[in-house]
Amino acid sequence: MTSADAVSALANPRFPRVGPLGVVAVALAVSAFYLLVRVGPTALAQATVNGLVTGSYFALGAAGLTLVYGVLKLLNFAWGEYLTLGAYLAVLGRTAFDLPLGVALIFGAVATAVFALLLELSMWRPMRRKGAGMFQLLLMSLGLAFVMRYVIQLVAGTEVRQVGSNVTSTIRVGDIYIGRTQLWAVLVAFAALVTLAVLLRRTRLGKQIRALSDNPELAETTGVNTDRIVLVTWILAGALAGLAGVVYGASVGVITPTLGFGIVLSLFAAAILGGLGNAYGALAGGILIGLVQEWSTLVIAANLKIAVSFVVMILVLILRPQGIFGQARTAER
Amino acid sequence: MVATTFAWVSSPDFWINVAILTATYGIFALGIQLNKGTTGITNLAQAGFMAIGAYTFAILVVREGWNSWVAMLVGVGAAMVAAVLVGLPSLRLRADYFAITTLAFAEIVRYLADNSRDLTNGSQGLAGYNNDWFKLSLSMERRLDDAGIPTPGFLVPLALVSVALLLVLTLLVGALVRTPWGRVLRAIREDEDAARALGKNTLVYKLQSLALSAALAAVAGYVLAFNLTLLTPEQFDPVFTIFAYVIVILGGLGSYVGVVISSFVLMTLLEATRFVELPLPADRVAAVRFVIVGAVLMLLVAFRPQGILGKRQEMVLGE
Amino acid sequence: MSDAVLVVEDVSKSFGAVRAVDGATIDVARGSITALIGPNGAGKSSLFNVITGFERPERGRVRFDGRSIYRLPPHIIARRGLVRTFQLTKTLSVMTVLDNMLLAAKDHPGERLTSLVLQPRASRRRERTARERAGELLERFDLGPVSGDYAGTLSGGQRKLLELARALMLEPRLVLLDEPLAGVNPTLGRRLLGHIEELRERDATTFLFVEHDMEVVMNHSDRVIVMAQGKVIADGAPHEMRGNERVIEAYLGA
Repeated sequence: MTSADAVSALANPRFPRVGPLGVVAVALAVSAFYLLVRVGPTALAQATVNGLVTGSYFALGAAGLTLVYGVLKLLNFAWGEYLTLGAYLAVLGRTAFDLPLGVALIFGAVATAVFALLLELSMWRPMRRKGAGMFQLLLMSLGLAFVMRYVIQLVAGTEVRQVGSNVTSTIRVGDIYIGRTQLWAVLVAFAALVTLAVLLRRTRLGKQIRALSDNPELAETTGVNTDRIVLVTWILAGALAGLAGVVYGASVGVITPTLGFGIVLSLFAAAILGGLGNAYGALAGGILIGLVQEWSTLVIAANLKIAVSFVVMILVLILRPQGIFGQARTAER
Repeated sequence: MVATTFAWVSSPDFWINVAILTATYGIFALGIQLNKGTTGITNLAQAGFMAIGAYTFAILVVREGWNSWVAMLVGVGAAMVAAVLVGLPSLRLRADYFAITTLAFAEIVRYLADNSRDLTNGSQGLAGYNNDWFKLSLSMERRLDDAGIPTPGFLVPLALVSVALLLVLTLLVGALVRTPWGRVLRAIREDEDAARALGKNTLVYKLQSLALSAALAAVAGYVLAFNLTLLTPEQFDPVFTIFAYVIVILGGLGSYVGVVISSFVLMTLLEATRFVELPLPADRVAAVRFVIVGAVLMLLVAFRPQGILGKRQEMVLGE
Repeated sequence: MSDAVLVVEDVSKSFGAVRAVDGATIDVARGSITALIGPNGAGKSSLFNVITGFERPERGRVRFDGRSIYRLPPHIIARRGLVRTFQLTKTLSVMTVLDNMLLAAKDHPGERLTSLVLQPRASRRRERTARERAGELLERFDLGPVSGDYAGTLSGGQRKLLELARALMLEPRLVLLDEPLAGVNPTLGRRLLGHIEELRERDATTFLFVEHDMEVVMNHSDRVIVMAQGKVIADGAPHEMRGNERVIEAYLGA
């Protein structure tokens, strides 16, 4: 069996049983119907639009998180900070070099990818080589989160900074509003996620990433170069995180050092809901969490909406810890 | 300038403050030691349990007029109940899933505290729970004065009581860990399946460990509350939990005496840095401290995971 | 069979697409020493895991001493008198040999928080009796001299013995041994087998062991069960296995 054959065999797309997807679909339909009755079609449609906007950058953020988890089985608690970094670097690009937002976006994504690569080479890989266990890596990521967040705060201060995106003009379809920048954000996210999906599905690299994440032992014995795949995964994930940070910052209009930390648990919820390690899951999970958060504002106080995604995450962990697309054995002890 | 930055060595206020902080973080970290160092579970909800204890107590006293001592007992109970509720569904999951569940729980607690204005006053802070303690504290001060012991500052009674509490609890928990019950916990830490194969219901033991830790967190919460006299959700920041892990690792996983010592060392260092003059505005100075704490944790984990007092073989489990 | 201490009926366990155990049916007579053999991947350890509650089968029945233990959690099964050892020993290396043994003591009030606090004398008493029994067992297995050492410092063979001695602390009626002799030197191994036979004579303890050493299987077991690809393909007296075509084929084809 050549390495290519093995990789193909391992990386065949797996579709989950109708079970979990079906449950999600039914739950969505039932909730939608209930909300429709309770608040009317306009409010529901507006909330849905808002949810898709939020969901798109949740999906971007969760995709990187889940990719890294897939190949390394590392829950990176510092992931929110990677988003914050991307946002700040993009704003830096705008203010220091007067870059237009689109270019700043790419700058932010690339710079974060480089940072992720450097961190892997200087910290994560040496730790793994030393035989560091899960607990040590977990604590490392916690410490890293603090260092990153507060270094950013040290350098850039706690004041909110303007991204310089257009937060006032909105597009109107009937009674539904969507900000121009937000629409742009959704489109950018969509483009990035589609690119990711194609990359994972069609390219050799993508298949290797999926092979390594589904079955590391088999992938290694059939000659997949683990080190290289891990590096590439970090670059990809870093770019996605940076992108997510900029997109999120642009949608909101301002950035603060706690930008990433504020949404990191929603990102975890999205990744867990979709099944940790599964990029398609992160996509689905991100959109779902975004929807659930925004729909929840129709019935409970808006400032509780983040608690809603926490609750979803805990429910998923209790009822089906492997998420929608995950395999049962990965979650239980 | 050197003279200014070292004046704190002889200042009694400084040491009183360090004593209270040592006790607060120390009692808090005893729970983390019980969970991680002895039982092997990574509890990231400790700050949440602390908040539940402190707020339950304060709300009962301020809003319902309860007696402080009874309210404190109920607060401990509430924290323990919360621990069982969190642990029941999540302790059977993989270690990192359990960790994130506990982290999420702590965030929800903080979030709810911030948003339940009617109960907690949100970020404006809840005050007025201090009266019973204050009376006790004054009478202690008077008695100390009568005995000729100088009491520089009104926080002396709190310092004395909290440090005494820390020492007593350290002895108690340390003793508990050396019993047959503690032996099962230690077995669970190394190999849970081995413990189950020997007839131990490991879920129950893990729940007990978590609940006891939550009780300790609640007690630490009371020391915090009496020290600050105003409860706000920001005080229960996740950095508390980071501090606790630094303390536990520094002092050595499994060593309860180590918790006391490293808590004292860490708090002394941290408070001393307040006197270092940095050419930075105030909020940036706060950021420096957090960066240092995070960096210390990373360095410890990377280069000396067994801490100062721990045994290398205790860490050789590939944790 | 009325005196079968263990009855396994049509048990199946799959991991994804792999059927590790495929409709296995065995019964083990009380007081017997039964060998479970088969090529690698035959499903022997998986079957052990299912019987002892460490894996949940999709279907089947498992009865121990007349009561169903199907899908019960491992700690309850162990308490009922069905204990096991592991292929990769699970001795606790950060505890001493003696502590490993004491851990296994049954019905110890000191292990329950409430009785620890409310009945300290009962706890101390039980600890004492546990120490005595542990000491006896350790002597029997020549582990007396190392009883104060950390289990992590023992050799592989000594660890196997410790694991067996520890399992015996539970006063089991059925012991499942997963490759008890792997890595154990022949002298010690013979003593171990001697202990097993002695326990069978004295207490009618039943043993079911997985072993690859055919000499041991042929000369020290009353019955041999053969598994291959998750199924039980032969079951009978040791000498009957020699000429059995299906058995030979299973080993050659693996």
